[in-house]
Amino acid sequence: MRIPTIFTLELQKRHHRIGRLLALAGGLVFAVSAYLPWAYASGALDDMSYLGGPSALQFLGLALGLILAICATMGLIEPWAGAKGVAPALLKVSKRVGWTRGAKVTGIGMLAYIGVVLLAIVIELGGLVTVEWGGWVALAAAVVGLIGTRLITPGRPPSLERLRTPGWVGILAIALTLLGALLLAAYALNQVDGGSFVVILTFAGVLAAFILRSGLGGWLSSISQRHRTVLVFAAFAVAFLFPFTQNGSDANMSIATQVLIFAATAVGLNIVVGLAGLLDLGYIAFLGAGAFTAATMSQSAFATIGWKPPFIVVMLIAGLISATLGLIIGSPTLRVSGDYLAIVTLAFGEIFRISMSNLDGRDGPDLVHGSSGIPAIPNLNLFGFDFGAVHTVAGIPLGRFSNYFFLMLLIMAVIVLVFTRLNHSRIGRGWVAIREDEKAAEAMGVNVFGLKLLAFAGGAFLAGLAGAVKAHVDQSVTPDQYIFLESAFLLAAVVLGGMGTVMGVILGAVLLKLVPEKLRFVNEYRMLLFGLLLVVMMRVRPEGMIPNQRRVLEFHSDDEELIDEIEEDLPYEFAEES
Amino acid sequence: MTFFLDQLLNGISLGALYALIAVGYTVVYGIVQLINFAHGEVFMIGAFGALSTWIVLGTVTGGSTAWWNLPLMLVGGMVVAVLTAVLMERFAYRPLRNAPRLAPLITAIGISIFLQEFVRLFFGEIPGFPDAKAAIPFPQIDFFTGDPVNVGGVLVHRGNFFVIGALIVCWAFLWWFVNRTATGRAMQAVSQDPDTSRLMGIDVDRIIVVAFAVGAALAAVAGVAHGLRYGNIDFRMGFLAGLKAFTAAVLGGIGNINGAVVGGLTLGVVEAMATAFMPGQFGGPSWKDVWAFVLLILILVFRPQGLVGAKVVDRA
Amino acid sequence: MRSKNLLGGAAALVSASLLFAACGSRTEPSAGSTAGATKTAKVGVIAPLTGDLSVMGIGIRNSVDLALKQANESNEIPGWKLELAPEDDQATPDVGANAATKLASDKDVVAVVGTLNSGVSQSVQPILNAAKIVQVSPANTAVSLTKGADEANPKRPYDSYFRTCATDAVQGPFIAQYLSDTGIKKLAVVNDKKPYGQGLATAVAAEFKKLGGDVVADETVNKDDKDFSTVIDLMKAKNPQAVFFGTEFQLAAPMSQQMKNKGLNVPLVGGDGVKDDKYITLAGAKSEGDLVSFPGPDVDTVPAGKQFAADYQAAGFKDGWSAYGLTSYDAGKAVVAALKQSLPNATDASSARQATIDAMAKVSFDGLTGKVGFDQFGDAITKTMTMYEVKNGKWVANKTASVK
Repeated sequence: MRIPTIFTLELQKRHHRIGRLLALAGGLVFAVSAYLPWAYASGALDDMSYLGGPSALQFLGLALGLILAICATMGLIEPWAGAKGVAPALLKVSKRVGWTRGAKVTGIGMLAYIGVVLLAIVIELGGLVTVEWGGWVALAAAVVGLIGTRLITPGRPPSLERLRTPGWVGILAIALTLLGALLLAAYALNQVDGGSFVVILTFAGVLAAFILRSGLGGWLSSISQRHRTVLVFAAFAVAFLFPFTQNGSDANMSIATQVLIFAATAVGLNIVVGLAGLLDLGYIAFLGAGAFTAATMSQSAFATIGWKPPFIVVMLIAGLISATLGLIIGSPTLRVSGDYLAIVTLAFGEIFRISMSNLDGRDGPDLVHGSSGIPAIPNLNLFGFDFGAVHTVAGIPLGRFSNYFFLMLLIMAVIVLVFTRLNHSRIGRGWVAIREDEKAAEAMGVNVFGLKLLAFAGGAFLAGLAGAVKAHVDQSVTPDQYIFLESAFLLAAVVLGGMGTVMGVILGAVLLKLVPEKLRFVNEYRMLLFGLLLVVMMRVRPEGMIPNQRRVLEFHSDDEELIDEIEEDLPYEFAEES
Repeated sequence: MTFFLDQLLNGISLGALYALIAVGYTVVYGIVQLINFAHGEVFMIGAFGALSTWIVLGTVTGGSTAWWNLPLMLVGGMVVAVLTAVLMERFAYRPLRNAPRLAPLITAIGISIFLQEFVRLFFGEIPGFPDAKAAIPFPQIDFFTGDPVNVGGVLVHRGNFFVIGALIVCWAFLWWFVNRTATGRAMQAVSQDPDTSRLMGIDVDRIIVVAFAVGAALAAVAGVAHGLRYGNIDFRMGFLAGLKAFTAAVLGGIGNINGAVVGGLTLGVVEAMATAFMPGQFGGPSWKDVWAFVLLILILVFRPQGLVGAKVVDRA
Repeated sequence: MRSKNLLGGAAALVSASLLFAACGSRTEPSAGSTAGATKTAKVGVIAPLTGDLSVMGIGIRNSVDLALKQANESNEIPGWKLELAPEDDQATPDVGANAATKLASDKDVVAVVGTLNSGVSQSVQPILNAAKIVQVSPANTAVSLTKGADEANPKRPYDSYFRTCATDAVQGPFIAQYLSDTGIKKLAVVNDKKPYGQGLATAVAAEFKKLGGDVVADETVNKDDKDFSTVIDLMKAKNPQAVFFGTEFQLAAPMSQQMKNKGLNVPLVGGDGVKDDKYITLAGAKSEGDLVSFPGPDVDTVPAGKQFAADYQAAGFKDGWSAYGLTSYDAGKAVVAALKQSLPNATDASSARQATIDAMAKVSFDGLTGKVGFDQFGDAITKTMTMYEVKNGKWVANKTASVK
């Protein structure tokens, strides 16, 4: 099902100058149109009804227009500067940037952006008439820009990643990128209006596509390879700063904390699925086991175990109980593999849920009060720090969920550390070997069964830790929180984000938990879209959004060019550790 | 003794339902080694298709529940279910045929969720159709519903006649189809060695579509049986039934049609007996699903080829 | 040389746009213009608005919406306009907690009606209590929500929590008493292992035994089950005169149908969660004679009930009010009554939160389910219950009584 090419190479060769001019004009007019009124009334998005005073979302549009204009112009400036000998050093850098590719993707993105904006206006105000003339100008500009970019001949592939830059530039770039991401995320989250959230999401998507296509992404990833520790620290610093952007409001922090718990569990699952290649469809049971353990040992009046050790101990016990369950669930892997294993884990997940609701004193010992679960779990109090209270730091009040957010961040750091250390160790290579070819791995002396068990137990342990915190965040633990659908969601986070990578899985988890919370107006269609997303994603990009390089090979074994490209990079990963 | 016979009958009729669905899993798995997780949803759609047929018929007949409605409903259900399964195969599974095994499994989960939601959200939007957000009453066709029949001291629910009869008819048909028709023999060939079959001039793609269609047709029969037996259908009925039917397929030996029938009946009887006769705190209805799943795990670990014997066992 | 011109053009455009930015400044709409007008207070609703329990959740939302609309129309609280803020909890504690947090951080929210499930309330209660927002549930029946872990030694866990529905401690004895009075000696009890069904079934069984009856069978079913034949056979072997099923109508209807198809021709008895018209459509003609209890006097005969039905119809809601519409409407009315005390003295909505909790404890008026008011634990004071029977495909009130 290939889309027929309308803009053939011949057409592009003949008209590329016109194309460039059209793209430039489209970009500039689009940018200027931000100063025009797009909507008839103030009720839509963030009020786009002013002449001469762009709203924040219109400024984002302006930025897109300027990006397109710059990309289109660079193709004209470069030869001119080359001939005149202007700024040769800058020109060298510029030649490595994929201006044309960037322009093409921005052209599409601009149209998508204005399309989403106009759609939101039409829906929120009701009817096409509510779009003001400025909106139509912007739409026309976007169409012109798109046609223009399509007419430009394909540019050279970007090679920014080979650019040698001084260390401080790289570190600065990382910091600025993450800071930008933080501000954009905070801005997006503070939108009450669902339409604005979608528009910002679209903008972020377009920007990300531009960064990737223009080669900036390659450069960023090459510098982040070089400054890996800086990147990790910066990422955690940014996450740490997030609660401070919320002005003491807990609404987003509640979601953010749950996203973190979900992400931590997904990273744990990633060890099992992404690294060792063992499909687990009942993983939510480990989170549940951790939560139930913590609940039964908590200070709640409903807790059934008299022994109430400090939380650190409870957390370790929760992790160990989960790990033990992991060992039990992992033990059939000695004889079962592939799809059969998936079914075994699914069955275990269901057994866990049903058993928990049966432990109510009627059909089993009264351990967790059956389906009512254990409510009224009090807030944590660690070393005199009350997690339920509001703490003011630097004038910014940080509420209950912020406190748990910090705790989860700490646990997340531990989990990520464990994951990356394992991944880059002998054990990690053993897992990969098992994933790729179990029989060959065994023949090479890899302890297949032991490593599989370790993957299950290790992943379960991490999920147990997250579950222990979850019990206190939710203040109530019931068996119905740990249904099969949640396992499917976890797996989807791993698969959508990219198996075997930390960043991808975190991104997948964030999207899967955050988007439905912010898009409550499409709530009715949430699951429908989720199902569709899984199907489409498996078809167009089965390796996930941020894929593990090795896995890309697996999914695109017929793409010779890609294989060469990746294999060129691969040895580094191995050389580093040997 | 009557009580025991009652339970045996309960188990067999429940098992017959599982068996009808399990055939769909087993036929598809036997040919493409794919767990079509969305097969439970095909079963659900079959039931809704039959219901729709009845509603449409009702505009002419004024909601008659005479026996002749049943064959029409069966055909209607089959058409919708087969169409769903074939579309699913064409647009979701076929492009992934050479992808790693995780991809089709996740696609299947996606399709499953999508189909459930699709029915839930849009079934009621069709003019004249009831809202599918909650359960919908299934037409009470004469003879197959109503007061129980006394057979030698055992009171038999009339829906049981339909489901057991349907299983026997479908099983006989399948046997004939697989062993006596050219297409059926081609199916056998493909399941043994797809590459060689292709060399022998068998259109493998077509055979795969046929496998999906056969499974879907039987699932639609099961859907109608479900409606008659339990009196109502809902958009979620496919998930647990599908899971149980898959268990049945594995129990009998996946890839083996006789195995699916044996496995289905065994699972049904085990469930009924565990509910009725397992003593103590860990028995009874609350634990029956646990025991069914434990049985599944034990079979997978200690006899992965199933009770009757599967052709394909070690496919990672 | 064309590119040079272009560059110049671009520069001109950029400077022009900067010029625009300088002169066209964005003015905020003045806050003063709305000061004289009415102030807004929001009443949240937390209920499952999507998913398979949405039938009940949407009924709750609509009924509260109706109560608020009526209050606005009659200008019940001068100077204030009440606004509905519905949030979906998907019948899941985590999502419910997010919804509660969202409402709690909205400065305009003064009260919340919800939730449907006791399990969700367990997560919602502490959040709303911390924000001093009053919560009135139209459907939670778990006793522990108001009386704490130890029923014999009750201690109210959250002062902000109230409910307009009957707890198991009221409904259970009423059902047991009714069955015992109608001469039933042998009762079979089933529940669906959900907190609501299990709690109610336990309460009914305990009271029935106390009254000298015989609970011949005590079974459970799984909430995802479709096939109840074995459970029905187990009960049938004990020859009960009635079957009490603690669950909602989604499971009760097929159970009733299958019971009769298997030859167990005794009435199925249910609690308030079963009293939905869908029960009769789903269970079919054989549901004739089945019984349910519901809090309050017979709604269909009381003028207020007829008025409510007419108003609900007139408001043009797409879905019916389902099982908990009446208690939800009463909850909405109770919120309005409390706000009537607390809002007039408040400068803004958030400062009226504590006062609303205090006022809620003293609320007293005649609602659809009888006298609406709360005892020292926050439970509804109405101990009046009505038993309804399916007659000719309709719920018909059978007996109304008060429970001591």
